[in-house]
Amino acid sequence: MVELDHPSPCATDGEIAAVNLESARRGAWGRFARDPRLPGAAEAVVDHERLAAQFLGDLDALDRLESLASQFALVDDSFRAALVKAEVASTVHRFDDARGHLTRAARLGGPRETIERHSLTIDQACGVELDAVLAARRRLASASDRLEDLVPLGAVLADLERFDEAGAVYQQALDSYDGISPFPLAWVCFQLGMLWGELVPVPDPDRAALWYQRAIAYLPGYVKARVHLAEIYASQGQTGEAEELLLPARSSPDPEVPWRLADVLRAQGKLDEAETQLDAARRGFDELLGKYLLAFADHAAEFYAGSGNDHPRALQLARANVANRPTRRAVKQAEAIRRNR
Amino acid sequence: MSDHVDGPRSIGDPPADVTDLFAFTSPENPARTVLAVCVFPSAGEDAVFSNAIDYSIAVRRVVVAGVGAAAKFQPGDAEIRFSFRFEVLKRDTAGKAVQRGVCTLPGGLKLSLTVNDEQGASTPEGEIRVFAGLRSDPFYLAWDIGKLERLPNLLQHDNALCMVVELDTRRVLDPAKGSLFGAIAETVPIPQPPGHLGYPAPRIDWVGRPEQTNMRFNNPAMPGIVDLRDLWNQQTPFAIPKALQPLFLQRLKDSFAVWDGLDGKTDWTPEALAANANVFLDDFLVFDVAKPITDQSHLEIEKSTLYGRPYQTGGGRTIDANVIDILLTWLVNHDREFLQGGATGATKPGTKVFPYFATPNLELQTVAESIELAAAADEVWSVVGRFSLDWHPLVARTTVTGAGIGQVRRLTTLTGGEVVERLEAVDTAKRSYRYTMMSGVAASRYVGKLEVTPKSSGSVVDWRVEFLASDQPDVLVRGRVSALVKTGLGSLKDRFAPRSGLQATAVAQ
Repeated sequence: MVELDHPSPCATDGEIAAVNLESARRGAWGRFARDPRLPGAAEAVVDHERLAAQFLGDLDALDRLESLASQFALVDDSFRAALVKAEVASTVHRFDDARGHLTRAARLGGPRETIERHSLTIDQACGVELDAVLAARRRLASASDRLEDLVPLGAVLADLERFDEAGAVYQQALDSYDGISPFPLAWVCFQLGMLWGELVPVPDPDRAALWYQRAIAYLPGYVKARVHLAEIYASQGQTGEAEELLLPARSSPDPEVPWRLADVLRAQGKLDEAETQLDAARRGFDELLGKYLLAFADHAAEFYAGSGNDHPRALQLARANVANRPTRRAVKQAEAIRRNR
Repeated sequence: MSDHVDGPRSIGDPPADVTDLFAFTSPENPARTVLAVCVFPSAGEDAVFSNAIDYSIAVRRVVVAGVGAAAKFQPGDAEIRFSFRFEVLKRDTAGKAVQRGVCTLPGGLKLSLTVNDEQGASTPEGEIRVFAGLRSDPFYLAWDIGKLERLPNLLQHDNALCMVVELDTRRVLDPAKGSLFGAIAETVPIPQPPGHLGYPAPRIDWVGRPEQTNMRFNNPAMPGIVDLRDLWNQQTPFAIPKALQPLFLQRLKDSFAVWDGLDGKTDWTPEALAANANVFLDDFLVFDVAKPITDQSHLEIEKSTLYGRPYQTGGGRTIDANVIDILLTWLVNHDREFLQGGATGATKPGTKVFPYFATPNLELQTVAESIELAAAADEVWSVVGRFSLDWHPLVARTTVTGAGIGQVRRLTTLTGGEVVERLEAVDTAKRSYRYTMMSGVAASRYVGKLEVTPKSSGSVVDWRVEFLASDQPDVLVRGRVSALVKTGLGSLKDRFAPRSGLQATAVAQ
């Protein structure tokens, strides 16, 4: 675990950053409401809402993004509205829609570099032509040497199962960071947790746990990091620690929180409480799948294949996920669910 | 906008983003000078300072080293510096988040302060007083500057985090040694532990005169140019490297030529334009504490020096100075005619008492309407209790997603607007529900409650909405909310016989 001996970059305290993100998010909406066509106003809302969804488990952000895209399209018929629609569609994994919006943005004279970057992100998310994606990511990362370009490079290397290279690139991203926002740092730590805890052929949960802990140290409200770390603790029999991690995240609408909490409670023998949480998780997934099937198909498939106890639905969801984004991981998940039927 | 969001690197760290720097004579006491810096564009009411940043205002004595075509302001090496650092949030006895900080004064004395405490903190003898907290953003910009089209103030109702230093001019600045100064403000990451990066983290942002980055370097009338803002922000104030000076100077010249031509007329000779670019390359806010600093004196020192004549005022920048219009007039028509934007002041003017920046824009608004109906409460609730709001005449289309608490309604109004609201609580016994607005109205802390109560054999419907107007004038937001509520309740008269007329109250709290 050489990389963990490296000092952690300093950053703004995670609670302050979360308060200020909410503050800036509201400010961005205010500017958009005042004049939706104001340069950068709609785009700033997208940026802030995506941060809220990614780091704070604020899945209501997805509804707000949908609303933004449709409101903006009412007043703007330029490439900007098409790009915003593409961003929003991409956020909820409607990649075909996103590509259509990008085509329209290009037709309306949208900036080529922005459109190409966005296409690259979609290709990567869908596992399409990963060698070409890798080459492009390498070009971007070596040109900027910035965390924002290094993390996607690490991610595509992980997708290609070049795990050690991915780890090195993530570490480079951490080392190169010269800002003070904890969001990017927590993001890299989370990626490293995923890499060593879930993606490598022989997971190393202790190593992954250290990275998730670091992500949470940067950003205590990082719901996904809490969920993943709780999963590791629970698998190691540390159910008390797992419960402690999940309880502060209960206000998040992310159904993974009650799902993992149910697993922990069941392991503790608290069966009634576990059932209550499981019901909450089912309701949560039902609601999200009703609105954003493609965005949550993989997680929901995992839920229904396990604690959710609905194999046919799990398989259906896993196949929907493969049809939308045929990545190696998606295919492996669908295969595993099919075999266990 | 001023320096509001002035570089890709600072966009992810809003409390690091320096918006404006001020230097003016204290309205309370002419023997005192006020230096102030604001950060965090469009800060919401909960915004706080980063605990990972050194926020500083640095002042250096300046001499006029050349006039006319050779105009130049030469800063000295000695620096008078005021640095603020802030702590992580703590909770008071009521559980409210509190942030404390320290201002390090020239000489190393430290003043402890509590963020948002209007009394601030003083040295024992009162020669220096400091404040930090959320205030109404004093900056105003009322142009589409790339097209020179007038607009309303684009920052109406915005707030910013401000740090204020008020000092005894004679004892702290010692004007007997020279009364002309240059000031900058900067945000720099607090030094990291050894091992990370291997070099000091570059500064995040700094400002001298307003608009060096957003208008002069990143001229909105020059689409497609390379963005120099981050590169500029990372340079050391008062010491731009010689190797980079030609790059920045050329951009200023190009930018100034575009500004000059924006009204279709050429008002600058190439020589005057080059001299102007040279002056602005040395980016610090110039002020003279021995002369009057007024709302109109901003840039007068630079302009007079470029004209080759002695300056008459203290230059600087007051809270109410119309800096955008002063700058635009100078750049676009060389002061031929004043270019007045679409606003003549910020949301709130500065005040005459410490800390001089007006209180933040936080007024909670309430719209409360009610109607008495002859129909029984249960009958009315069976209609208005439907969260879809499909009974409302202004709603053209409605979709509800989810069920129970947390369900979301997406309302498309007859005018094509869209409002998204979330159900927060339902009490069927009391025939009431509570909801929050997620998007579509320029407001935050938007909470609505609709309730039907029995009255004799009939009922009363109460609809109450509380919100904090964001960015739009209160009156506009309240008008929109009020129309929605009043029209909705009014429509119930047609559906259920009214017991008496609509009793409406719109209250600003």
